[in-house]
Amino acid sequence: MINKNMKIKYSLFAVIALIFTNSCSDEFVNVASFDENSEEFFNSKEDYDAALVGAYDLLQSTYLNVMLGEIASDNTLAGGESATDVPGIQEVDDMTHTPLNEDLRNIFNWMFAGVNRANYILEFKDKTDFPGKEGVIAEATFLRAYYYFELVKWFGDVPLAVDTRLLFGDQDIVERTPKAEVYAQIEIDLQFAAANLPYVQTETGRVTKGAAQALLGKAYLFQNKFTEAAVVLDDLIANGPHDLLTDYTTMFENDNENNIESVFEVQYIDVEGAGFGCLQCSEGNVAVGFNGIRNYTGPLFDSGFSFNIPTQKVVDAFEVGDGRKDVAILDINAWANENAGVSFVEGFEHTGFYNRKYIARQGDSNIGDANLTNPNNYRAIRFADVLLMAAEAHNRKPASDDARARGYINRVRDRAFGDTDHQLSVSGAALTDAIANERQLELVGEGHRFFDLVRTGRAAQEIPGFTTGKNEVFPIPSIEIELAGNRWNQNPGY
Amino acid sequence: MKYIFLFVSIFLTMASSWSQDFEIKGTVKDATLNDFLPGVNVVVRNQTRGTTTDFDGNFTIDKIKVGDVLVISYLGYTTKEITIKNSDFLTIMLTEDVSALSEVVVVGYGTQTKKEITGAVSVVDAQTIEELNPTRIEQALQGQVAGVQITPESGSPGSGSSIRIRGISTNGDARPLILVDGNVIEDLSVINPGDIESINVLKDATAGIYGVRAANGVILITTKTGKRNTDLKFSYDMFGGFQQTSRKIPVLNATEYALITNEAFAAGGQAIPFPDVSRLGEGTNWQDEVFQNAPIINHNLTLSGGTEKSSYSFGTSLLTQDGIVGGSKANFKRYTTRVNFDTNLLDNLVLTTNLIYTGTNNKNLNEGGLGSVLFNAVNNAPTFNVREANGQFSLAEGLGNEVINPIAQIADTYNTTVVNKIMGKIGLKYSFLNDFSAESNFQFNYAEVQGRNFQPTLFYGSGKVFNNPGRNVLTVNKDIFRDYTWDNFLNYNKTIGDNHNVSATLGMSVFQTTGLFSGGNQGFFETPIDFANARIEDTVDQRNELQLSGRANQFDERLLSYFTRLQYNYKGKYLISGVLRRDGSTKFGPDNRFGFFPSGSIGWVVSDESFLADNSTINFLKLRASYGILGNDRIPSNGFRGVLGGEAAYVFNNQLNVSGRAVGVLPNPQIQWEQQETLNIGFDLKLFDNKIDITADYFTKTTNELLLQPPASGILGVAAPGSQPPVVNAGTVENEGVEFAIGYKNYVSDDFDFNINYNVTFLENRVLSVNNGTGFVAGGGFGVGQDLPARFEEGQPIGYFFGLQTDGIFQNQAEIEDHATQLNAAPGDIRFVDTNNDGEITPEDRVAIGNPIPAATMGLNFSFNYKNWDFNTYAFASIGNEIVRNYERVQPLVNRSVYTLNRWVGEGTSNTVPRVTTGATLNNQFSDYFIEDGSFVRLQSLQLGYSFPTGLSERFGVSKLRLYTSVNNLFTLTKYRGFDPNVTSGSPVGSGIDGGVYPVPRTYLLGINLKF
Repeated sequence: MINKNMKIKYSLFAVIALIFTNSCSDEFVNVASFDENSEEFFNSKEDYDAALVGAYDLLQSTYLNVMLGEIASDNTLAGGESATDVPGIQEVDDMTHTPLNEDLRNIFNWMFAGVNRANYILEFKDKTDFPGKEGVIAEATFLRAYYYFELVKWFGDVPLAVDTRLLFGDQDIVERTPKAEVYAQIEIDLQFAAANLPYVQTETGRVTKGAAQALLGKAYLFQNKFTEAAVVLDDLIANGPHDLLTDYTTMFENDNENNIESVFEVQYIDVEGAGFGCLQCSEGNVAVGFNGIRNYTGPLFDSGFSFNIPTQKVVDAFEVGDGRKDVAILDINAWANENAGVSFVEGFEHTGFYNRKYIARQGDSNIGDANLTNPNNYRAIRFADVLLMAAEAHNRKPASDDARARGYINRVRDRAFGDTDHQLSVSGAALTDAIANERQLELVGEGHRFFDLVRTGRAAQEIPGFTTGKNEVFPIPSIEIELAGNRWNQNPGY
Repeated sequence: MKYIFLFVSIFLTMASSWSQDFEIKGTVKDATLNDFLPGVNVVVRNQTRGTTTDFDGNFTIDKIKVGDVLVISYLGYTTKEITIKNSDFLTIMLTEDVSALSEVVVVGYGTQTKKEITGAVSVVDAQTIEELNPTRIEQALQGQVAGVQITPESGSPGSGSSIRIRGISTNGDARPLILVDGNVIEDLSVINPGDIESINVLKDATAGIYGVRAANGVILITTKTGKRNTDLKFSYDMFGGFQQTSRKIPVLNATEYALITNEAFAAGGQAIPFPDVSRLGEGTNWQDEVFQNAPIINHNLTLSGGTEKSSYSFGTSLLTQDGIVGGSKANFKRYTTRVNFDTNLLDNLVLTTNLIYTGTNNKNLNEGGLGSVLFNAVNNAPTFNVREANGQFSLAEGLGNEVINPIAQIADTYNTTVVNKIMGKIGLKYSFLNDFSAESNFQFNYAEVQGRNFQPTLFYGSGKVFNNPGRNVLTVNKDIFRDYTWDNFLNYNKTIGDNHNVSATLGMSVFQTTGLFSGGNQGFFETPIDFANARIEDTVDQRNELQLSGRANQFDERLLSYFTRLQYNYKGKYLISGVLRRDGSTKFGPDNRFGFFPSGSIGWVVSDESFLADNSTINFLKLRASYGILGNDRIPSNGFRGVLGGEAAYVFNNQLNVSGRAVGVLPNPQIQWEQQETLNIGFDLKLFDNKIDITADYFTKTTNELLLQPPASGILGVAAPGSQPPVVNAGTVENEGVEFAIGYKNYVSDDFDFNINYNVTFLENRVLSVNNGTGFVAGGGFGVGQDLPARFEEGQPIGYFFGLQTDGIFQNQAEIEDHATQLNAAPGDIRFVDTNNDGEITPEDRVAIGNPIPAATMGLNFSFNYKNWDFNTYAFASIGNEIVRNYERVQPLVNRSVYTLNRWVGEGTSNTVPRVTTGATLNNQFSDYFIEDGSFVRLQSLQLGYSFPTGLSERFGVSKLRLYTSVNNLFTLTKYRGFDPNVTSGSPVGSGIDGGVYPVPRTYLLGINLKF
């Protein structure tokens, strides 16, 4: 008995001694994460590709920039269910938005999320080499420029980070960078991207040289650098693979995505579900469901939330014979009369019109929430836009070339009317106005109008409630000022 | 001469005893009942040997010398010491310890007697659990223990409760650490209350022995074990009955609804929707349609016994419960089987084992907010029938995109969650060198959670967000959770001299939990299929998002701990205790991974002092104080490093590419555990022959370095898909409170005794600082698209409500013109207070308008036994908390609560309920109009039992037969207008916001207790 006792005693002591010394050193609580560690990534081409997908991802969140940009303009009203349906959207429509606006905060945050994901790649761009790396870096560079361009358009001066992420703690240090410096970086990035990207990618959806040139041209235009804009846009028009689509009526249909006119297109798809908790997570075009016809049943279209309602003013702006009108504007009452079984509910600020380019259509897989997973791509930069930008650049540059400008705008008008009888022959300021007008009609519903009005100084005359000296940019969300240590000045007037 | 003889005889006796050992025999009896007591411990003091009494209360010990002291102890009886004078047969009478001071309390890696406890520890015993018929163990704690607030998260079958010990000390995860026989249990739904022997709650620095996991308090649950030297005993307990809703919210009938809706449309300048209201009648009462009586039944069989060397206990149970909403569509079933076995491998080596298997099968309906069945039942229009004439469910057309037919919703819901879990423990305890014992305990959990969800194609009306116009979808998933805890410790217990009692514990513990997720396997059926036969193998287009993304499907969290506890008391009168624990947690980065957590306590048993020794009033008085620093590491893993767990997906070539990588939760390399300073001062007092029992405590808990995940600056990319703000240490919260418990028990006669217990907790919660830039963290949700209504902000209680203040109703246009500018205001609208006096009602006018934390919670228990009858009732109350009414969907055509009948319809008609209109008003902005007093008193339990006379039942071989009937949740006194004031969302910021909670049902039960 004693022997057994001793044995047990000693083995217990041995076990305890073992536990206290060897088996559980402090290393026991040093465990690697199962997902890759962000600082130990970029060891292969696949790693760079994977991070690049992440940088592209935020393009899908620009649905809000498009929708809200359109609503901010004189083209459309907020709509929705009631005066309090998404207050942030209603306020922007009425130009009563304040620094508390949640939707503006979303744009601010989502675009910076894109900037950070692009900068993540660029911060580690020298870590691992592989064939074709310039292309990856060029794509990331383009994306950073795209997101920054959105940020300066909306908010003016914003913190600029180049080839480095803004990490936790930096929010207490960084300042708002003057708009001009941000534009300078956008130009550098897009020049780099244009130089390192092909006109045709092996995968549709990836940015191309054309996209970089078009965006560069647009960035010049926004700074009134018309000569530079003309050069790069001419190059794209002459040497790029793009042309106008013959049939404007098919332009915005889901089965005509990435067509010849698409210089840059944000890609959406309907294979993954989505919820209101994370709209930026949706792989679908959220704006399409928001723009859709309220409680609609009937052919062709699907129901939606009746936001982004075209005004009578923009409907009336179309000339007789302009084929673009029926593509851009759905007259829901006429549609209901022409088609059997159509029913719908009138939402807030109902005008009888819907933004037909981007409203929900039947035929997608309707994965839940069907309103948030519409697959229709956003044609971000169309060749028609490029032509009109080039026309404006030639018209407004110091040594103006109105003939060339007319050539470009008339290509667009010929397609719109299906004949050459509506060509313009004006010059100078009249041509400038004509181009601006053409931009409204060609691009209505696509989110460009507000910024075009602002950069050409015509916003106050066209947009009810617009205050000059204030509404050219939107307020920095006040909570973002607070979260960055309460050091930034608010934009004037807010 | 007489003295000389005595002297000599004593001397001789002693001499003879020095020279020889003898055997001593005896028997132990209950002093009152004169029954033999089996299983009583008889040990020789200062020697490590002893025995226990046999079935007939007899014992034999050899090698006894004169002068040896036998210590006779038995649970629930006063320990007796007998000095051996000779070898005569001993008859030892043990008296029941009415003061229960010798009751053993589990305090973590050891036990203490109640008398020795110097901290705030509360105990709930098996009898209380039996009296309450809980289906979940939390229900047995509700209102029973001062300082412990239990609030159900829902009344649906199988749903859990939020447990808060001494207030909310963090706005993060405030759940206490729960250990069942030393085994970490996070989900109490798997525990059968019938298996529980006792629940001990460590509320103060006493919990410090659990270091980094102690700050939210610790609950130690002990399962039933057998007793040595007892015959095999069976007990069978069953109760069954039905549940019904405790409340329906009064809403308008069809005619009232149509009239008021017409009024609203007219006021908004719109055509009236119901031109003819004459034939609408009462219409459909959707709540009557949705609520039903639902059965509940519980069986519990226990058998236990023990031999001289071993004891065992076995239990098995079955609970099945339907929902008062959805009936069998919301069924919860639980099967449990438990075996406890312990044996002396050697005299001084004890093996303890237990194994518990639990299986649960749960079906769920959408509950608790927008889109839930009850939300739809409250808001759906009474003018719709449940079904159309063609037998199809009616569509809730026109009621907005979220309100749908709740009956159709129930019919279309198909899901099950099956949990299979095994919990176990193996422990060895070795006693040596008289005063030492070494223990090694290994505890483990293994659980498989399998979920199945089927969504057929659905159409609830145009534009409804719950429509599934696409395909029939089946989703299955299977997750595996594993953990183990290995505790090793050494105890030393020594009485030095007669007065100095020392004990010391030194030990270590390792804990590891890992999990493996399958992700959701999703597939489609082209044609509808019966849910029971729906197999993922038969679907097409299968997809598993998690697998496609290649992101991690595992976790691994660990804890490495060393701890020591030193206790000393002088004559059991002056008590002092100190604890030091060192924890290493995988939750924190290399610089902050390890922390030290010290705590200590002192006690003084005043009643043992000579000046109180013979006091006839005061039987017992102990003063206690404790102080300690405790930790909380309940945050997600990997907060200190950037991990590529974010969402990164984009479309190339018209194919979704989900293989992208992006950072998930933003890293904060500096994070460390929350550090809570806790102070407790209290006393225990027994008066008048121990009839009155009082315990009172004052406490403060200050949580520093609060772990928050507050909004972070957007420039950091925090709004990216799958990304989250970093977890930071950014706040301080203080809870200050007083707990008071008083019990009175009187054993009037053999036929009659009774018991009254009352406890109350006063609590004040204050946020002392939030260092995150904005100075607050917002949370919760109100309405659709409105600002977050609850805040965590300096100077306010956690989760206080932040909104506009109201000042009645505008009675006329003149009042509007006299008031600050208020957008769209018309007579009959709510008048908001311009708190910042800028002449305009704006969001800047929002102020603190309510507090979800009760100022006081209390429980009252009364029971008596009269002859063979027993009666028990129990009520609890919550005073001073506020609730946000958020179960009304603001939509022109939804139904409304009956209070709308008292709306403003003209000057002087109402100063509380605004007019109805479909036009734009600020009436639905979050304001104190939506805040109601949530105070309540609830009669939680009423039970009447009858035990058949012993003689009668014994004739059938039954030692006890008791029948009883009980009602749970009989009534609730409250001004609150929602379903149930005592239900919470569980999260600290956003609690008290009622989106149509599932009420805790009223339950009528019949039960039987059988022992044989």
